[in-house]
Amino acid sequence: MRVEYINPFVESAYNVLKEVLSVEIVRGELYLKSTSMPVLGVAAIIGLAGDVEGRVLFDMSKVTAIQIASAMLQSMEMEPIEELNDMGKATITELANMITGQAVTKLHNLGFKFDLTPPAIFTGDNMEIADTGVEALIVPMDLPFGKIEINVAIRERN
Amino acid sequence: MKTKQDFPSINQRKADGLASDGNAYRVLIVDDSLFVTKQIGQILTSEGFEVVGTASNGQEGLDSYKELYPNVDLVTMDITMPKMDGVTALEKIMEFDKNARVIMISALGKQDLVKKSLMLGARNYIVKPLDRKKVLERIMMSLTK
Amino acid sequence: MSNTSEAVDRTQGGEQIREAKQRLGGLHQHQLQEQDDIETVDYKMVTFSLGGKDYGIDILKIKEIAKFAAFTYVPNAPPFVSGVYNLRGDIISIIDLRVMFNLPAQRKAEGSPEDGLILRLDELMIGVVVDSIDKVVGIVSSRIQPPHPIFGDVNIKYISGVVEKDGRLYIILDVDRIFAKDESAPDEPEPLTAAVASKDSGLSPYQESPEVPTSQGAAGKNEEELDLDFIREGLVTFKGFYPDEVSSTWLHRRYPEWRAERKQLGTEVQLTGEEDAEEFLRTFYSPYSGRFWGEDYVEGVKALLPEEMPKNISVWNPGCGKGYETYSLATVLRMRYPDHILKIWAGDKDLLNISTAPNLVFGADIIPTLYEPYLVEAKNGFAFSSQIKDAILFEYHDVANTNAVPNVDIIMARDLISFLPPKQQALVLNEFSDKTSSGALLILGQNEYVSETLGWQHVGSAIVNAYRKL
Repeated sequence: MRVEYINPFVESAYNVLKEVLSVEIVRGELYLKSTSMPVLGVAAIIGLAGDVEGRVLFDMSKVTAIQIASAMLQSMEMEPIEELNDMGKATITELANMITGQAVTKLHNLGFKFDLTPPAIFTGDNMEIADTGVEALIVPMDLPFGKIEINVAIRERN
Repeated sequence: MKTKQDFPSINQRKADGLASDGNAYRVLIVDDSLFVTKQIGQILTSEGFEVVGTASNGQEGLDSYKELYPNVDLVTMDITMPKMDGVTALEKIMEFDKNARVIMISALGKQDLVKKSLMLGARNYIVKPLDRKKVLERIMMSLTK
Repeated sequence: MSNTSEAVDRTQGGEQIREAKQRLGGLHQHQLQEQDDIETVDYKMVTFSLGGKDYGIDILKIKEIAKFAAFTYVPNAPPFVSGVYNLRGDIISIIDLRVMFNLPAQRKAEGSPEDGLILRLDELMIGVVVDSIDKVVGIVSSRIQPPHPIFGDVNIKYISGVVEKDGRLYIILDVDRIFAKDESAPDEPEPLTAAVASKDSGLSPYQESPEVPTSQGAAGKNEEELDLDFIREGLVTFKGFYPDEVSSTWLHRRYPEWRAERKQLGTEVQLTGEEDAEEFLRTFYSPYSGRFWGEDYVEGVKALLPEEMPKNISVWNPGCGKGYETYSLATVLRMRYPDHILKIWAGDKDLLNISTAPNLVFGADIIPTLYEPYLVEAKNGFAFSSQIKDAILFEYHDVANTNAVPNVDIIMARDLISFLPPKQQALVLNEFSDKTSSGALLILGQNEYVSETLGWQHVGSAIVNAYRKL
C-alpha cells in the first residue's frame, strides 16, 4: 500500500474514535497481512473507488461492537443496546463511515482522489469474505471496550 | 417528544427550532444511516424543530421533498448514499425549488465536494462527526441568512 | 532489509498491546491467551516412538515421513545399517535407530513396511527406521530443557534437549551429531560403537566412528562441515539471513576465508552474536547497498540497459528500504531514457524505513555530483526533483504477500532475497519470472546468484551482478 495512505487512516481512526467515544485509545503496532479476512465477528466494510480500488474493513468482536454502539448512543442520550440490532449495526457502520470519510478527506487534501461507497456490515462467527490476492494494512486500536482492527486494502489502478 | 413548555422560561430564550412566527421549522432528514437519522432528529427535536420526514437515499429524499413541498423548511442531506448520492439529489431539489434550504451533512469534507455543493445551492456543509453545538449553529446560520 | 530488527519491533509492539489489554481487563482474555500460545510456537518436530519412549526430531531436518518396504541389504555394513533404499532414483542409506541405540525393537511381520523418516542433513539424505511415527508437535523452543542423563536410553551427547507437551515427555534427538563424524574425541569410546560392539562382540569393523555409507559415499561430517552448519544457523538467528537459494555459493566461498580470519584472531569460528554475524556478512553486502550508487555502479547499470525500451518503462524494486537505491536507479533510467515514461514500484515491509522514502531529504555530502541535475533544495538539505520523485511509487509491502505489480521491464532486488526464509525465496524468484517477459533485466546483489534453469542468463559485469530473462 502506498506509504502516503497510511497516516491519514491511522490519524482518522484515532481522532474519530476519541472524539465520538471520549475514551482512552491505545494505538497498536501497524502490520501487513496477506489476507483480508475478518476474524473477530463483526465487520463493517466501506468500498473505495476513484484513482484506486480497495476497501476498508472494521473488524471487532460482537461484544465490542455492542459496547461501542451503546456508548455512541448514550452519548446522544439514546438507549444503549443489549444485542446487535439494526440500530447497533447502523451505529457501527456510521463509525466506520466517519473514520473512512475523514481519512479520504485528508487524502484528498494530499492530492489523492478517491470516493466512498455506502457501508455494509456483516456479522457471524464463520464469516468468509472472498477477497483473495489482497495485502492489507492492519491498524489495531485498543479501546476499553475491546479491540478494533482496521484492515485497509488499497490497490492502485495501474 | 418535547413541547414548548419543556423549555425553561427564565431566560426567555426562544428555542432554536421555532421560527419568528412561533411555529416549528419543518425538517426533512435524508441519510442512509439509521443512526445518523436518529442522531440529527434527536438534536433537532430537542430544540423544537419538527422532523416531517426521513429518507434513506437521494431518490427517496427528492421524492419526499416534492411531496412535502411547500410544507418543509429545511433538508439535511447525506452525500454517500445508495441509488442517488446527495449531491445529485441536492441538484434536483434545487431545480425543483430554487429557494430550498438544503444543508449537506457528510463524513467527507473534501474541498471540491464542499465547493460543488455550495455552488449548487446548499446553504451549509457539516462534516461528521456531529455534535449538537456544531449542528445547531450551522443550521441556524442557514435559516436566518 | 532489516528483518531482524523489524521482528523485534513487532514483538515489542505486541508486548505493549498485551500489556494494554491486561490493564483494560480484556474481554478477550481467553482468546488472547490462545493467541499467545500460537504466536510463540517456534519449533516443530516430528515425534515417534523408539523402544516405548517418545522422541522428536526437528522438522527442519526432515525431508519426509516414509514407509520403507524393501531395502537392499548391504554386505559388510554395520548392523544398524538396515540397507539402502531407492527413493525415487536417489539411493539412500537406511539406519535402524533402535539397533543404533541398542533399544528393543518391535518385531514386524516379515515383509511388512517399517515406519521411518527421511532426514536431510545438508547435502546428505539418510533414512531412519523407528517403531512408529506419531505426529508433528509444535512447541515453544524456550521450553526445551537441557538433556539430562536420567533420560538415559540414548547417550545425552545425541540429545539436544527434552520437552514436555500435553503431558508427554519428548526426547529431542540431535541428528546432526548422531550422523556426524566426531574427530574431536577419538579416544573416547563412542556409544554407538559400543552399542554395536556389545551386539556384535567386537566383530564390527567400525571402531572409530559411526561411518554410514550413503549415496555420496560418506555420511560422516567433519568438524568444518559441522561449524558451517552452526554458522548457517547463526546467520538465520542473528541476521535473518538464509544462505539458501541465491547465496549458498557465496557462503561456501566465504567460509574458508572466515575460518582463516578467526584463526588469525584466535577467536571461535562459530557466530556468538549479532556482531559476529554482521562481521561474517561483511563481504556479502553489495557495493552501495542501501546507499546512493556511486559513479562506477551507475555506469555499470547504464551499460546493461538495452538500446530499445518500451515507451512506458516499468520497474519493480522490492525491499527498497529507505529508497536510496531506488532513487539511484530512477536517476540512471532518467539519464538513459530521458523521453520515456518511467514508473517504479518500490516496496518494503519495514514501516519505519519505507515511511521516510517518499520524502527523502539528505545532505550534499552523501550524494555524488552526477545526481545534481535531478536535485532540488529542501528544508534541511536536498531532495529529488519531481521528475524523479513522481516516477516512484513507494509502498508498505511485504514481497511475500501478493504482488500487485504489472509486468515489468526491470527488477532490482539487491541483498533482499537472502534475507527471506527459503520458502519465500523460491516464491519470490517465481514471482520475478512471472512478472517479466523475455529480455527483462534482473539486478541482484553482488553475491546472489540465480540458476539458468529459472530462465535467467547472467549478463552482469564485474561491478553489477545482473541477469537477462531468456
